[in-house]
Amino acid sequence: MTEPVSVSNLNHSYDGRRYVVEGVSFEVRKGEVFGLLGRNGAGKTTIIKVLTTLIKPTSGSVSVLGYDPVRDGKKIRERIGVVQQSESYDFTTVEKNFDLYGMLWGVDKSEARRRKEELISSFGLESIRKKNVADISGGEKRRLQVAREFMHDMDLLFLDEPTVGIDVIMRRELLNLIKKKAREGLTIIFTTHNLEEADYLCDRVAIIAKGRILALDTVENLKRIYTNRTAIELQVNEANSEALFKKLSEIYGSNLYVVDNTNAVISSEDPKDAIPTIIDLASKTGSHIEYISVRKSTLEDVLIQLLSGAS
Amino acid sequence: MTFPRLVRLLYRNLVVNTDVGTIFFVVGLPTLYLVFFGYGYQSFLPGDKSYLLFLTPGILSFQTLIAGTVTGSMLWLDRRFGMLAQLLVGPFTRIQYLLGLILTSLILGIAGGLVMLVVSSVIVPHYIAPLGFGTMILAIIVGSICYGSIMLLISALVRSQNTYNSIQVSVIFLSNFASTVFYPYSENLPVPLRILFLANPLTYISNTVRDGYMGSYSALDLFQFALTSMFTLIMLLLSARAYFRAEIATT
Repeated sequence: MTEPVSVSNLNHSYDGRRYVVEGVSFEVRKGEVFGLLGRNGAGKTTIIKVLTTLIKPTSGSVSVLGYDPVRDGKKIRERIGVVQQSESYDFTTVEKNFDLYGMLWGVDKSEARRRKEELISSFGLESIRKKNVADISGGEKRRLQVAREFMHDMDLLFLDEPTVGIDVIMRRELLNLIKKKAREGLTIIFTTHNLEEADYLCDRVAIIAKGRILALDTVENLKRIYTNRTAIELQVNEANSEALFKKLSEIYGSNLYVVDNTNAVISSEDPKDAIPTIIDLASKTGSHIEYISVRKSTLEDVLIQLLSGAS
Repeated sequence: MTFPRLVRLLYRNLVVNTDVGTIFFVVGLPTLYLVFFGYGYQSFLPGDKSYLLFLTPGILSFQTLIAGTVTGSMLWLDRRFGMLAQLLVGPFTRIQYLLGLILTSLILGIAGGLVMLVVSSVIVPHYIAPLGFGTMILAIIVGSICYGSIMLLISALVRSQNTYNSIQVSVIFLSNFASTVFYPYSENLPVPLRILFLANPLTYISNTVRDGYMGSYSALDLFQFALTSMFTLIMLLLSARAYFRAEIATT
């Protein structure tokens, strides 16, 4: 059976010179929450745009729900839901946004009314339902945008950073709702910067940098592979920090991630060995260590390690 | 019951344009023009000449410019605030969205024209023959598509809000005041103004609507109508080309 999404050797360039997506291949299985993780400009949104038929890929083979996005875009769009990264709403009341969206999708009037009430309630939009979207906060707009997408039926949902601007409690409720939808059989592609979210929600994640997939696996496996190490967090005085970080990078290479000119994280298998080395180098370069700590690596460290390696 | 996609888009376009600001722009502003300009200039005219009677068909044709402006702004706002992209990842095609906008311009132009006809009949009662009424509606249809296309072309080409606003205001001003909406064309005008008058589609739309209103048709009306239709077709093709080439979202 064909997987809901199958991407093979996808390449995309907007200007014909620089590729923003290069050699990307992955499959998304039915009913799974698949995460695309990466920094800004990594290529996540471009991949989503190709899959949702907004742009034609430069090359590569893509199948969404068994259809080719270039040839059968309309058939795909009838069966997908998309929450874009950028805002999208009509300048009318919150309630009317639901009504219009249901109408645009051809949802039966009584069913649309039922869904609207359910979504307004579950997304905590009751108090602002009569307000114009121009008068509500950024977080409320985002909630409206995500909630509105559930007005229609779909087989595949794209969520491009859906939780940006949403408060902690509502974010958790939203993630739970997405989890529930996935359990009911909905396939979800989810992009985020927030690793906690990916950890909580995604069955598998692809870590992307500069348009390429650096790692693709279940969250558990990624942690097992990359976090069988410890993270040494280091804070130094600004004076001579550059010299220290240079020396450290000669030893630790891509295992060193320089956060800014006073902070760095080193991924190490053996901190007992690493710490004396760091102290020794600090002394030799005339740097003053203000803070040093050792902790177990997290998914964030996996991402940092992979991304710093890529850069 | 599910309506065809184009009807759904059209309904959405009309609903989002029922805010107070747009309604004022479509109905209130032309009414103010009619009242203030109508009575203001009437006081200058000697004898029993009615400026209000002259201005009414001008204001009806002015509705085509208003309808086009609302439609152009709609594409601009949909690009700026993400609804164009949202609709295009939904069950709609680019061509359906474009047709939806053109039809919106058409409906706003006709509806606005009819409302102004009712308003003007209170201010200056006047009988319009059925053939004249048909001529007026036909000219308003062509005018609405014409200005809808011009404004869509601007919306599709321009990327920044300030530039868009500046161009839109300039087009409205030039179209409105370098046309026969408010005053007749005269050979006594300075040459640059005469050129502007004659190059302006609103001049011909206004002339045709006025002739329909007054019941004074001539072969010139047919010629003007053909000329405006041809210009409209060119504008429609250019705007469609620009729209299909434009990025879906502005920055």
